[in-house]
Amino acid sequence: MSAAASAGAPSLLELEGVGKSFFGVRVLAGVSLSLGAGRVLSLVGENGAGKSTLLNVLGGVLAPSAGSMRLGGARYAPASPKEAIARGVAFVHQELNLFPNLSVAEDLLNDKLPTRGTLVDRGTLAARARALLREVGLDASPDALVEDLSPGERQLVEIARALGSDARVVILDEPTTSLTAPEAERLFAIVERLRAQGRSVVYVSHALGDVLRLADDILVLRDGVVVGGGPRAAFDEARLVSLMVGREIDTVFPVRRTAPSGEVALEARGVRAGRRVRGIDLSVRRGEVVGLAGLMGAGRTETLRALFGLDRRDAGEVRVAGRALDPTPRAAIARGVAFVTEDRRQDGLVMEASVADNLALVALPALAAGVHLPPTRVAAAAAGQAGAVSVESATGLSAPARSLSGGNQQKVVLGKWLMAKPAVFLLDEPTRGIDVWAKQQVYRLVADLADSGAAVLVASSEIEELVGLCDRILVMRRGRVVARFVRPGLPPSESEAGGFDREAILRAALGAGEPAGEERP
Amino acid sequence: MKTRARRVAPGLAAVLLATVAAFGPSCQPRPTRHAIGVAFETLQTEFWVAAIDAIRADLASRGYDMVEAIADGDANRQLEQVRSFVARRVDGIVVVPKDAKGIIPAIKAANEAGIPIVLFNRPADASAARSVAVVADNLGIARATVEHLCALARQSGRKQKAAILIGDLGDVNSIGRRDGFDQAAAACADAIEVVARIPTDWNQEKALAGMTNALQAHPDLGLVFTSSDFMLPSIVSALKGANRYRRAGEPGHVILGGFDGDATAWRMLEEGTLDATGVQDVYFEAKAAIQALVDAKAGRAVPPVVLDPGFVIHQGNKAEMAPRMWGAQVARRKAAGA
Amino acid sequence: MRRALFVLGDWGVALLCGAYLVALAPFVPGLASGPNLGDVFSNVLPLLAVALGQTLVLLTGGIDLSVTAVVALASVAGARVMTETGGLLPGSAAAGVLAMLGVGVVVGLANGLAVANLRMPPFLATLAMMTFASGLAIWSTQSQGIAGLPASFRALGASLGPLPVSLLVVLPLALAAHLVLSRTVLGRWIYAVGGNARAARVSGVPVERVLLLAYAACGACAGLAAVLYTARLETGSPVLGQRIFLDVIGGAVIGGTSLFGGRGTVRGTAFGVLLITLVDNSLNLLGLSSFTVLMVKGGVILAAAVLDAWRERLAGR
Repeated sequence: MSAAASAGAPSLLELEGVGKSFFGVRVLAGVSLSLGAGRVLSLVGENGAGKSTLLNVLGGVLAPSAGSMRLGGARYAPASPKEAIARGVAFVHQELNLFPNLSVAEDLLNDKLPTRGTLVDRGTLAARARALLREVGLDASPDALVEDLSPGERQLVEIARALGSDARVVILDEPTTSLTAPEAERLFAIVERLRAQGRSVVYVSHALGDVLRLADDILVLRDGVVVGGGPRAAFDEARLVSLMVGREIDTVFPVRRTAPSGEVALEARGVRAGRRVRGIDLSVRRGEVVGLAGLMGAGRTETLRALFGLDRRDAGEVRVAGRALDPTPRAAIARGVAFVTEDRRQDGLVMEASVADNLALVALPALAAGVHLPPTRVAAAAAGQAGAVSVESATGLSAPARSLSGGNQQKVVLGKWLMAKPAVFLLDEPTRGIDVWAKQQVYRLVADLADSGAAVLVASSEIEELVGLCDRILVMRRGRVVARFVRPGLPPSESEAGGFDREAILRAALGAGEPAGEERP
Repeated sequence: MKTRARRVAPGLAAVLLATVAAFGPSCQPRPTRHAIGVAFETLQTEFWVAAIDAIRADLASRGYDMVEAIADGDANRQLEQVRSFVARRVDGIVVVPKDAKGIIPAIKAANEAGIPIVLFNRPADASAARSVAVVADNLGIARATVEHLCALARQSGRKQKAAILIGDLGDVNSIGRRDGFDQAAAACADAIEVVARIPTDWNQEKALAGMTNALQAHPDLGLVFTSSDFMLPSIVSALKGANRYRRAGEPGHVILGGFDGDATAWRMLEEGTLDATGVQDVYFEAKAAIQALVDAKAGRAVPPVVLDPGFVIHQGNKAEMAPRMWGAQVARRKAAGA
Repeated sequence: MRRALFVLGDWGVALLCGAYLVALAPFVPGLASGPNLGDVFSNVLPLLAVALGQTLVLLTGGIDLSVTAVVALASVAGARVMTETGGLLPGSAAAGVLAMLGVGVVVGLANGLAVANLRMPPFLATLAMMTFASGLAIWSTQSQGIAGLPASFRALGASLGPLPVSLLVVLPLALAAHLVLSRTVLGRWIYAVGGNARAARVSGVPVERVLLLAYAACGACAGLAAVLYTARLETGSPVLGQRIFLDVIGGAVIGGTSLFGGRGTVRGTAFGVLLITLVDNSLNLLGLSSFTVLMVKGGVILAAAVLDAWRERLAGR
C-alpha cells in the first residue's frame, strides 16, 4: 500500500520498496511513499514500528537493504549524514545534536563557518546567525552558549540549523517532546513557514492531535510495513490508533496452567527514584505475570532498577513476601529476586567469559562448600541449566558468551537467574533483538515460571507481547502508573479495567486525550 | 585442536627444559681472553663517563675484554649484575656501588667465587667481606688545594675572609674534603679567617642561596672553596650578582678553589676566573683498580684501600697538567666535536 | 591464525622460555650454565611475588602503579623496626617481616578504597599513592639505607644448597593465588568484575569488596617481595625496586594477562616473569649497555601488549 501524492503537486521525494534488515532480522520492508514540495507528511506508529529506521535511511545514517529513493528526480542514496545534508535533506533528531559548549552562532553554522583567510569571520558569523534565528523566531543572542538555553530554545536552534543548510526536505523527529505549549505553537508556525517556502516536511510524532493538525498526508507504520496512508482528511484519532495497534496476532502464546494465588510476592508503595520514577504503586502475586506497558521514556526500566536496588530509591517502600527489602542488588538476590536487564551486552552477560561461567555467576555462593568451589560442580550445574533452557552453542559451553546468537544469549541470562531459584522475576524487554523461535522459548519459560509459583513483572514495548503473556497490565507514563488492565476472565478490582483493550492501552501510554503541549518534565 | 595443543605443550616444555638441564652445565663460559666485569651505578655525569672510558682504555692496553653493566641507581639490579659476572666467571670485577651497605652481599658473592673485586671511587661500609677500594684522598687533595689558595691569600697582603661550601654531611667524601679545608685553614690562620660555612646537601639552589647570603653578609669576602666543581655555576651566579666576578689579577677578584676537576673548572681555569681545583685523578684510579685486580688474581698482596693522591691544578701549572685532568679532556673533546 | 593466538596461553609461554634458552645458549656465554640458571631463578622469585599481586589487580580491570613504592617503603619500615643498631625492636626478624607485610596491606587497602569507594580511576589513584609512598620512604630515611639487619632475617635471602630460601616463600604464595583464582567464589568474582563490572553487580557480585581485596592482596604481595629483596640486599633501602615495574607488567602481559581485565592466570604470569627475566639476564651476559637492554625489553613487552590488544579486537570487544 502506498500513500498517493496529492494531485498536482510535483513529487520532491520518492521512495520505492525501501527495506532494511539487521543480521537477517527485517525491521523495515516494502515502504513506498511520495512527498511533494511544500507538503507535510506525518509518520505515525508504535515504538519498534520502524519509524526511526526509516528516518535514519532518509537522513543518510543507514543505508537501505532494499529499494530505492529519488530526490528532486535524481537518485538519492546518501552514504553519510553529511551527504544527505549536502543533497538538501536536514534531519532534526529527537536527541539533539548540539554542542553545548559552543555559542549559538558557532553551532548554527558549524559546518560552514565564514572565514577570512584562515580565521573565523566573527562579524559575518553573527550576522548570518541572527538571520537564521529570526527565521525561527528565536529571541536569543548569537553569542549565547547553547547550554544556557532551555530545551525548547535548543530545539529551535536545531531547526534553525536545518534551515541554514537550505534544506529542501526537513525531517522532524518527535520535536515537541521537550517543548512548552507556547514553544510548540511557535514550532507549528515554523512548519507553516517551511511549507510556504516550498520545502517539504516529514513530521514524526506520537502526539496524534498535533499530527492531525499539521499534516497534509499521513503514513502509518506497523512492524516495519506501511499499513495505512493517505491525505489527512481520511483519518481521525481513532482510526490512527486502530491502525497502529493492528489486529493480526501471529505469535502463539503459551497457555497458562495455573491461576495466580492470593499471596502477594512483591509490593511497591510510593516508590520514587530520580526524575523518571515519580510514584509507583504496584503489587505482584505468586503465580502472576504483570506487565508494564508504556512508551520510551515512561520510566519502566528505571522502575525495575529501583525495585531491584540498582538505583537509589528516594522514597517509598518495597516488600518481598511481606518483609521490607533493602535497596541493594545483593539484598534483592538474597531474598529471591531476579532481574533480567534490558541490555544484555552491558549488564546482562560477561561477553568474554564462557557460557558456563555466565550461567553459574549468580548461583556461585550456593555452589560452594565453605571456601572451596570445585570447578567440576560449577561445570555440571552450568551444563544442567544450559539444557534446561535449551541453550544452543556450536562450540560448547566453554565458548565465550559473545559467540552466541542474541536469542541464545538471552536464554543464558534467563538460565543464570533460574539457577538461583528466584521467587520474583523482573524482566526488562526480555525478547528484544531475538529471533521468533527464541521468543517462543522465552514465552514458554515465563509461563513455566509463573506456573511454578514465581511472581513475574515484565516490561515490554510490544503491547501484543504483554497481552499474550500477562494476567494484568499496568500502563506507565511519565513515571507513574496511569492505567491498569486485567486479563479477560479475571475479575477486575476498582482501579482496573476488565479486558485487554489494545487501543485503550495505547491511548493511555500516549496520553491521548490530554491537551497538546504538556508541562516541562 | 586447541585442547590437544594444550596437552602437548607442557610435555614439550618439559622435554626442552630437560634437554637444557642435561647439556646446560657443559655450556660453561669459555673466555679466550681475560674479561673484567665493570658495574657502574650510573653514567649520568661526565665524571663517570670519563671514568669508564679510562677503565676501558686501560683494559684495552692490557688486551683484556670489558663487560659493562649499568644499574641506573637500583641497588638490587647492581646485585643481580655482579652475580651475573660471577656466573660468567669473569677474572675480576670493578664496581661503583650505589649503596655502601647494599653492595656488601655482592662483594660476598664475588668472594665466594674467588673473583677479586674492586670498589671504584666509593668505599663500601666495613664488613667481613673482602675487597679493595680505590678512592680519592679527599682530605689530602682538599688540603693541598686550600694550601695553594692560602698562598695566594698571603700574596695579596691582606687577611682574607674565607667561605667553604660543604657537600652532604652524610657523605664520607664531603666530610673528608671539609676536614682537608679545615686543616689547611688552621695552618694559615694568619692569612685567612673562615667566616662562612655553607651547607649545600649537594644542591645547586642551596649553593646559590648560601653564596648570595654570604656575599651580602661579608661584602669583602675574599676566598671561596667549594667541595665540588659542579657547584661552580651557582657560585659564579652569586658573584656576578654581587659584581665580584673578576679574573685573577683584576681588582675585586675572589680567590676561588674547587674539587673534582670537571669541564667547567677547566673552562674557568682557562678564563682565569678559577684559581685552583683539586683533581680526582681518574686515570690513576682506573689504572690502580685494574692493577689491583691483576695483582689479586696473581696471588700478590693488595692493600684494602688504595688512595688516589690526585693533584692540584692551578693557574701556574694548568698547561702541563691538563692532559691528566679529566675535565680538561672532556672539554677539549667537546670543543673538537662541536 | 586466530586459533594460534588463543593457544598461545599459559603453556605457550613456557614453550617460548625453553625455545629462547635453546636458541640463545650457543651465543651467550654462560646462559645455560648451572650457576647462571640459579641466578635467574633467584631473580625471578621476588619479582614473581609482585607480579602475582599485580595480576589479581589486572584481572579486575585495574592497575597498581604503587607496587614499587610499596617495596621501598616496606623495606625501610621493616628495617627500621628490626635493625640491630637502634631499631624499634632490634634483632626481631619476625617484627620486621610483619612490619613489611603490614605496610603492604595498609597501602593496598588505601588504594582499594580509592578505587572501589571513591571510584577514582586506578591509574590515577595508584600513581598518587606511588608518589606519596616513595617520597615518604626517602624522606623518612634521608635517602640513607638501613643496615645491621639480624642474621635470621638475612637468611631469607640465602640458599639451602641449590634452592633459594625465597622459593619456600613464593611457591606457597603462587599456589595459594592459583587456588583462590580457580577454586573459590572470590576468584570467579574477580574474573567477573574484570570482565564486566556492571553485569557482575547486577548478578550480585559485591564489586566493591572484591576490588578492595584485590588491591589489598597486591599490596601484601609487594610487602612480601620487599622482605625478599631486603634480605637479599641485607639493607633496607628507600629506593628499592624502582626499576621492577616494567618487568612486573611485562611479565604479566606476556603471560596472557589482559590489561583490559577478565583474563589471565597464575601459571601464565609465572612463565611470563620467567621469560622477561631470561631476556634481561641474557642481554646482561652479552654485555650490552643498559640502554640497549631497556630497549629490547621494552620491545618484547610492546609486542606482547600489541598481541593482547589484537586479541581483543579479533574478539570484537
